[in-house]
Amino acid sequence: MEEFIRGPLVWIAFAVFFAGLLLQGWLFFRNTSPRQRRRLAVPEPKKKKPQKDKKTPLTPAALYAWLVNGSSACYQRHWPRLRRTVLFTHPFMTVVTVVFHTFLFAAPLLARAHNELLRRGLGAGLPSLADAAVDAMTLVVLLCGAIFLWRRLLVRRVRAITTFYDYLVLAITLAPFVTGFMAAHHWLDYHTVILVHIGCGELMLMAIPFTKLGHMIYFFLYRFLLPGEYSFGQGSRAW
Amino acid sequence: MAAAQQATVDTGKVKDLLAAHRAEMKRYLSHCMHCTLCAESCFLFMARDKDPRYMPSYKVLNSLGVLYRRRGRVERSFLEKIKKIVWRNCVLCRRCYCPVGVDIPRMIALARAVCRSQGVYPDFDEQGHQESWL
Repeated sequence: MEEFIRGPLVWIAFAVFFAGLLLQGWLFFRNTSPRQRRRLAVPEPKKKKPQKDKKTPLTPAALYAWLVNGSSACYQRHWPRLRRTVLFTHPFMTVVTVVFHTFLFAAPLLARAHNELLRRGLGAGLPSLADAAVDAMTLVVLLCGAIFLWRRLLVRRVRAITTFYDYLVLAITLAPFVTGFMAAHHWLDYHTVILVHIGCGELMLMAIPFTKLGHMIYFFLYRFLLPGEYSFGQGSRAW
Repeated sequence: MAAAQQATVDTGKVKDLLAAHRAEMKRYLSHCMHCTLCAESCFLFMARDKDPRYMPSYKVLNSLGVLYRRRGRVERSFLEKIKKIVWRNCVLCRRCYCPVGVDIPRMIALARAVCRSQGVYPDFDEQGHQESWL
């Protein structure tokens, strides 16, 4: 069992992870309706920008007027829309979510031990950060996870739609970080903890394409490829 | 309307409607992270003292989500229940915003289509004076 977790299951987990991502990507394109694809294929014409007067000399007064009026116009145009974004309605959660996802990727990819294993196995690895930096990132990930858990348990609106599955997904995500931190600091029996850590990591990799964690790939597909009012594709207002 | 209320649910029709959009809707339902960050984008949620029942995610999960979970095998009483969710608690203004990119209005629209296929929809001439719809 131990040999299986340390050996073949690692490759199985990576194979399931990458094949699952490819499968989900293929399913997305297969199931996107023709109407949506047509909208993707024909971008909306861009509005012509008003041409600047090239003859105006660049005097300090002109520069000042351009800066003030330009900034004011920019503010008036974008502020009302920005004010209603998640960044402004939930600044704390936006920061927590962005930091969580950034470190969720950075910590395992830049961990020295992981890259050492990669170099031994494949002959090449990513650059590594100092152990202390990876430790700090891991703790931040766990802190953000604790905030998510706190919201699920105590915030009324989140509790209203929380199911057991949400706790399970959170546990699957955080388990490799808890066990990784314990293994790095040799808490409890190292041999057992590192085995559990490897198993948790493999479980998470295999779960990503087939669970809620699939938003890892679908976030980008939804945001960039499906045109809509809020997407980065060529969407237009529906109201 | 009264006759429609007494009629049984044509589960075959409901199943067909759900099956036609199954791939897309199941994908959206499975990628809703239950984060509730969509809540503030709903003006009804804001106008109802931030009652969780008016959150876009709550409305979707308790209407279309249950329809898919039960695979279309629902009773008329359930459709009457979600009628309030998809018509009274949502005006389908399409302003709800999901950070992940889930198309919430599309899901509510399908839940409405399922209800409408069974004759379950608000009849303002009969019910308008009985209860507030907005």
